[in-house]
Amino acid sequence: MTTTRRQIGRLLLGAGLAAPVHFTRTAVAQPKAGDELVVGVWGGAQERIVREHVEKALLAKYPGVKVSYVLGGTPERRARAYAERGRPSFDVIYLNIFESRQAVKDGVTQAPTDAVPQFANLYDVAKLGGYGVAFNPVTIVYDKRKASKPVTSWQDLWNPEWRGRIAWPSYPGAQGTAALLMAAKIFGGSENAIDIGFRKIRELKPFAAIQGSQDQLYGMFDQGVADISVEFGSFTRSYAETRNPNIEIANPVEGQAIAMNVACITVGTRNQKLAEEWVNLHLSAPCMLAYAQQIYYSPTVKNIAIPADLQPKLVLGPDVAKLVDFDWDVVIRNQPAWTSRFNREIAG
Amino acid sequence: MTKTATGTLEKRSFIGPLLAFPVTFWLLLTFAAPFAVLTLLSLHEYPDPFGPIIQPPSAAQFASIFGDEFLVRIIIETLLLGAGVTALTVLLGYPLALWLVRLPLKWRPLAFAVILIPLLTNVVVRSLGIVLLLAPDGLINQVLSVFGIPPFRQMLYTHGAVALALAQVFMPFMVLALYDVLQGTSPRVHEAAESLGASRTIRVFLVDLPLSLPGLRAGIIIVFLMASTAYVSATLLGGKKVWTTGMLVWQEALQNLNAPMAAALALVMTLASTVFALLVIGITRKLTPWKSGAPGSSRSVPGWLLRILDLFGPVIGKLLLASSLLLLLLPLVLVMIQSFNDVPQATVAGFRAFTLKWYDRVLFGGAYAASFWISVQLAAATAVLAIGLALPAAFALSRHRFRGLMALSAFWTLPLSLPHVAIGVGMLKLLQAFTAIPPFLGMLAVHVVLVLPFSIALLQASVEQLDKAQEDAAASLGASALSRFLWVIMPGLAPGLVAAGIMSFLISFGEVTVTSFLTTARMTTLPVRIYAEASFSLEPTVHAVSAILIVVTVLLLMILNRLVRLDRLYAR
Repeated sequence: MTTTRRQIGRLLLGAGLAAPVHFTRTAVAQPKAGDELVVGVWGGAQERIVREHVEKALLAKYPGVKVSYVLGGTPERRARAYAERGRPSFDVIYLNIFESRQAVKDGVTQAPTDAVPQFANLYDVAKLGGYGVAFNPVTIVYDKRKASKPVTSWQDLWNPEWRGRIAWPSYPGAQGTAALLMAAKIFGGSENAIDIGFRKIRELKPFAAIQGSQDQLYGMFDQGVADISVEFGSFTRSYAETRNPNIEIANPVEGQAIAMNVACITVGTRNQKLAEEWVNLHLSAPCMLAYAQQIYYSPTVKNIAIPADLQPKLVLGPDVAKLVDFDWDVVIRNQPAWTSRFNREIAG
Repeated sequence: MTKTATGTLEKRSFIGPLLAFPVTFWLLLTFAAPFAVLTLLSLHEYPDPFGPIIQPPSAAQFASIFGDEFLVRIIIETLLLGAGVTALTVLLGYPLALWLVRLPLKWRPLAFAVILIPLLTNVVVRSLGIVLLLAPDGLINQVLSVFGIPPFRQMLYTHGAVALALAQVFMPFMVLALYDVLQGTSPRVHEAAESLGASRTIRVFLVDLPLSLPGLRAGIIIVFLMASTAYVSATLLGGKKVWTTGMLVWQEALQNLNAPMAAALALVMTLASTVFALLVIGITRKLTPWKSGAPGSSRSVPGWLLRILDLFGPVIGKLLLASSLLLLLLPLVLVMIQSFNDVPQATVAGFRAFTLKWYDRVLFGGAYAASFWISVQLAAATAVLAIGLALPAAFALSRHRFRGLMALSAFWTLPLSLPHVAIGVGMLKLLQAFTAIPPFLGMLAVHVVLVLPFSIALLQASVEQLDKAQEDAAASLGASALSRFLWVIMPGLAPGLVAAGIMSFLISFGEVTVTSFLTTARMTTLPVRIYAEASFSLEPTVHAVSAILIVVTVLLLMILNRLVRLDRLYAR
């Protein structure tokens, strides 16, 4: 185990030192007809939104170029991008917050630059490890009929009334990571002192279930298997509004845990300019608004006017500063060890 | 008889290797490379995503697996789960296969479609069905409450739930493997049993069961290997309380980027399940001495056992048949309701409002329709190619054995016993070479590899079931080898070919694990599209896809039934 960590550390260092080489910008060729931009993205609503609000605008600006999509989940996309480092078949890939920062360190994707005009308007936290395109914070979601009082703190998960009714999110994964880090934090630990987090989560056992995805969790709510969990607030709101009005999305005093979709331009792309245009269009008002309206993902740029009725459902302005952020280098470095511990102590 | 058989064997000893060549060549071309990569990766001391493939070999990964109580426990649990699923599948599948064989011919296409329903529906839909069955307020508990029995609240997220889900989806493999050999049994054999006073139940146990052992063997091996590498159903219905090695391989390979550990785990698992497969083959050979021409010893069954069988057999058989039909039809009901349901997520249970928009999206939504056609073409090409390669291999296995064939057949089964994620990981390292091949051909090559073990197993059972006397009769009447093959062997194999063809088509059509590593911008298959959607939130379009598939399958089977006999009338 020690060898492994040391080796990874050395690797990170090496990649970090090598990284600046990739970013010395030479004259970038202008897009021309026949160029093809390959985008790796999630399917469903997300694919539809970018097709409608990014691709069309890009094609209007550069007639004759083509956009192709490789659809899939983050783990497969990341594994492929790593396998193809330096000779990517993707030009733009979408990753989660911690994977994107690691990918920059590993020399797989580029750090963000002001070559993308909307870069200037990004919140600071969205400027790391690529271009943050959507805030999608993680919080407590629960069945309000089963709560004696509204959930207002992460501590409420340890309220005995939820015993045996919790669907804990599996680790690793955005929700499980947030839940573990928040558990450590509210009991005096941190990403550097994770032990207390594990110990406190263990106190919550037995769990009604361990949930592995938002869809699975909604099924558990529907079937009365579990009453409370830690999940993305955004899409859970869609679920609550369209299907299960008993589900409440908490806004804990300690803050919601940050999670973010990040657009990353690959190192070695042959369509640098086109990729930057793509990202810029993603960060423009029409796309940001579509994300906000259709799936309640919050914009990562400051210069977007949000309709008043939508505002309370999103994380905007001062609320962005309240999102709980972590040292993702520490988190990603410890992921294998924490995974192993989670499997044994929490899930198994 | 035995003498002539050995005589031909000696004279034509080149035939066996010749028949075994196509499959072996194909696997060496397309599967040996990722498998070698995987082996090399498992010998890495520590994960280094960007390091060279060839490194000084180290047993560190294997040492940490066997030194870790948790991992060893999961490996054992996975093997036990595989065994449990296999037992459950035999229990539920056998009555179903018997029922299918007794069904009038005109109903068989429909019955086939019923059996294939789980394979035609997405894993998420199937899991939802099982959840609705086992949930605290689910179907089982509601039925129990009618009888005043208190509900079982802890049925979900257990090994039992996972086993049930896996048995449901693997049942078609077992039934099809059994169907061909069961209906190949001549009615004269049944009449003989009857004239000796055997009841129907006794006949099933003492005549049909032994004669169907080759089919059972194929079914058991296929189901066990699939069950022991499964991870999606285990994740969805085990709720991370149930762990399988497949899940660990996925986690290590993709989430932790620890390819060496993933590779080592996959290889340990493969080794264990290959040993199991060889064991099953050995046992069936012992139990079917007549296949190798060896004299069989007579065995007698105690009378009390026969009486018990006669007493309870029919009732239990009917109960099992009813349960397996219920299990098969459950996803159908869900699909039919949910595909018209106006809700944002596919996993929502309960009808809200009627809509046709999901069908509209599948059929006219552009992206969906394109993926659908890619998948159809890929699956059809895969099925044809796989059968072309598997048929000679099946003849080698059942008629032209030679030294080393057992080892070769273990190699042919490898793609099935290796978790698909692991194959994907091996392919990742070869991605540059892979992307140089036209995408359709590359994908086809890999799909054929994944499908081959199934088609070989199914066809081997069919070939063994052929009536050699008919060929001898044809030969004595002067038929050449070619015309014997075309006019005697092929019609006899028709049901087996249809079964293997359907199976190959559906496996390729549904493959997502390996394909999602290899998919390119120009080739997104339907399951990859659906999986990508599920990575965010699955929409009811997936139900519409399943509904269309089921209807199309019923129609195709009905047409097929007109063109090819789905039974072996010739045997009568």
